[in-house]
Amino acid sequence: MLAIVAKLVARRLLVAIPILFVVSALLFCVLRKLPVDPAAMSLPTTATIAEVEAKRHEMGLDRPLPQQYVIWLADALHGNFGRSIQFGREAGSLVAATLPATIQLAGAAMVLAAIFGLGGGLLLFHLRGSSLETVVDFASILLLSIPEFLWGLILLFVFGVVLQVLPFTGAVSPNLPQPHVTGFLLLDALWVGRLDVFASALRHLILPAFALGLAFSPAIMRVLRSSLFDVYHEDYIQQARLRGLSERQVLLRHALKNAALPTLTLAGVQFGILFSGTLLVEVIYSYPGMGNLMVDAVRNADLPLIQAIGLTYCVAVLLINTAVDSLYLVLNPKLRVR
Amino acid sequence: MKLKRRAFLQMATAASVAAPFVRTASAAGDAATIGWPNDVPSWDPNQRFTPDAQPIFKAVYDQPLDQDAQLKLVPHLIKKWELAPDATSMAVELRDDVTFHNGDKMTAEDFRYTFLERIKSGVKLDTANSWKKVDDIVIESPTKATMKFNAPNPTAPQWMAFLGSYIVPKKYIEAGGLENFQKKPVGTGPYKLAEYELNSRIVLERNDQYWGPKAKVARITIQIIKDPSARVAAIQSGQADFTLNVPVREVQRFQGQSGFAAELNPITRVILLQVRADLNFADQNVRLAAHHAIDKAALSKAFYGGAAVPLSVVATPGSPGYLPDFTFKYDAELAKELLKKSGHGPDNPVKIGLAATNGQFPSDYDIARAIVQMWQKVGIEADLQVIEYAKYFELNRASKLPEATLYSWDNATGDPEIFSGYLLNPKLPFSAWKDEAVGGQVLKLFNVADYDARIAGYREVERFAVEHGATIPLLQSVLTVVRKRNLQYAKYGNGWVLPQTLQWS
Repeated sequence: MLAIVAKLVARRLLVAIPILFVVSALLFCVLRKLPVDPAAMSLPTTATIAEVEAKRHEMGLDRPLPQQYVIWLADALHGNFGRSIQFGREAGSLVAATLPATIQLAGAAMVLAAIFGLGGGLLLFHLRGSSLETVVDFASILLLSIPEFLWGLILLFVFGVVLQVLPFTGAVSPNLPQPHVTGFLLLDALWVGRLDVFASALRHLILPAFALGLAFSPAIMRVLRSSLFDVYHEDYIQQARLRGLSERQVLLRHALKNAALPTLTLAGVQFGILFSGTLLVEVIYSYPGMGNLMVDAVRNADLPLIQAIGLTYCVAVLLINTAVDSLYLVLNPKLRVR
Repeated sequence: MKLKRRAFLQMATAASVAAPFVRTASAAGDAATIGWPNDVPSWDPNQRFTPDAQPIFKAVYDQPLDQDAQLKLVPHLIKKWELAPDATSMAVELRDDVTFHNGDKMTAEDFRYTFLERIKSGVKLDTANSWKKVDDIVIESPTKATMKFNAPNPTAPQWMAFLGSYIVPKKYIEAGGLENFQKKPVGTGPYKLAEYELNSRIVLERNDQYWGPKAKVARITIQIIKDPSARVAAIQSGQADFTLNVPVREVQRFQGQSGFAAELNPITRVILLQVRADLNFADQNVRLAAHHAIDKAALSKAFYGGAAVPLSVVATPGSPGYLPDFTFKYDAELAKELLKKSGHGPDNPVKIGLAATNGQFPSDYDIARAIVQMWQKVGIEADLQVIEYAKYFELNRASKLPEATLYSWDNATGDPEIFSGYLLNPKLPFSAWKDEAVGGQVLKLFNVADYDARIAGYREVERFAVEHGATIPLLQSVLTVVRKRNLQYAKYGNGWVLPQTLQWS
């Protein structure tokens, strides 16, 4: 099985190269066509028009677009994504500094989305035909219609302002240090043996992770229920019942296993969307991740930084999809045979 | 089930009522948490001119000169300064009791390094532009130096207290490198940087060896909270003790709550319409009509609770270029008459474009919409388009800005060169007005060395520009502040909120 998975990963990585190439070209062209002047943005307010023109020349903005792209690509292949206009630092190092926080947030949110999605899907299925089904169904549609940033504001207001039970700014309490080992704060806190920092970081993660998780769980919920409906018409379910298994055993041991496969595909897609959904949530909760950085970059027309972050999102989505497909192979023996 | 719901609602209501009294941010008097809207671009204070970051830099670094709360230039690291009559040199005398946070003594070598050597070395610094006229800095002693300029530099003293002009440690940077300096910055300021997390928080600890008045609060945590609603929530919930740049309506709401102080402070920031001299604004009657048709007092009342002062010139009250006796009146009838002379009126409106940002400064888009309605009443039909702030320069460069653009301009010095001198200078990228009648006068003033003559010149230009329709000043902007009532701070006319002035009472 490992060989099949390795083959898939290798194939996916090969496909990823042209995809990344196309995405980077698209991103580059779109950004250069925006009516913003990176040269003016990179100079102080005292610069004259002549100095701005000189800067445009220095930045190569007066060259043909394909030539500009080739220069950028050559640098990027050497790991140089350019210097951020706003921060004056390597765009790659800024992304590297903020990416772990975003992965941590997206990971926690996905776990919550999976828990709510699976739990809600099973509940919806369990309540089928009952008077409560309509109510729960309506609730799931309502959940589906609330975007993540709205969840962010609602949770912040309820748990942060009204009840004042959870923090909602930053990644850790102001009076605690932030250890730096891997960049993943929860892990780093454990690594340096600071349980107080770990607890604080966990508390700071709760609201943004719930905001994202709640927003992405209803889709999983509804797909799981629909998949369960489908598999319940299969013969093996009937046979399981005839073998004397209880309804709970039939559901958990047989139906869920098969219904989980389409749900897993959806979860993979959702995780990609969720990863980019961190952008607004990070701003609302002042969470120091890559989304927060992206907002800065867009506001300041910081093209090198936008480009680097955009490509990172693309790589993340490709990796997530590869991981989901590999998992699919592990869980579905039929695919391994083929 | 019913009981649970009721209990929950009761608990929520009680917590909501109690919320203003709960303090969780900084219970002790030696610590405070500020909800700040933006991060610093870098810890090299010479690198980028970011107005919002200046108060944070002023906590860690010192400037050669400073401004008092009324914006008057006052000695700081420089004890005495003398600008030559022709403004081509400036002699300075530095304090001899200043040390950097690492214990190194600050001398004229550091002064020379900051304003000459590191600029000439090719490091990308915004100060390279503001101090481009510096040819040499001659060191006469560890505390005395003379700056030599290659052209008259009449605003050199003002720039010593303005954007990016912070003295940095020569020895420390040369020994450890620039990257190390950016990671572990060392200044001479009243606070040392204790911790920094990009886009998250800045922790400052009091510099007990500071040469000047010691900060009252020992530890300041600056939480970077970019979303205005989140800043409001942070102060409401007690997760911050002080915050700024919140919506005006929130200030008005907090003013009714015990435990909080909420203020609208007029500052040296102007809101104006940058106008073009061509298209349908080629006709002076149309430009002046557009100005007369705007009821600035109504805009102030509607969007700034009446705290924003209506302006007739591009300068704020109390600043040197302000003309207290000059008023450009709101007169809709006069606007109609002017338009009639040019063959326009409510039935035959003149069509123009108006560009505005949405969210760049408080109520920007709403102000633009209100102006469109005011213009409509007199016979000006404006097509309102939203632009990103970053697009302004590109559109202006390509001559694609519409007739008028709503703009906000910050000038912490209050000096008229940095108001009209920049906004109407055809050689700078901000000026939408390219006509020589005004631009020529402005350019001449950049070389006037005598302070009084320079200020008088700008006053004339400002009046002329408004009467000529070359600019449409609207309002003096306000800084919104919400704080715990017992956390005091010094109020500066330019909107600086300096951590070293915070004090619990």
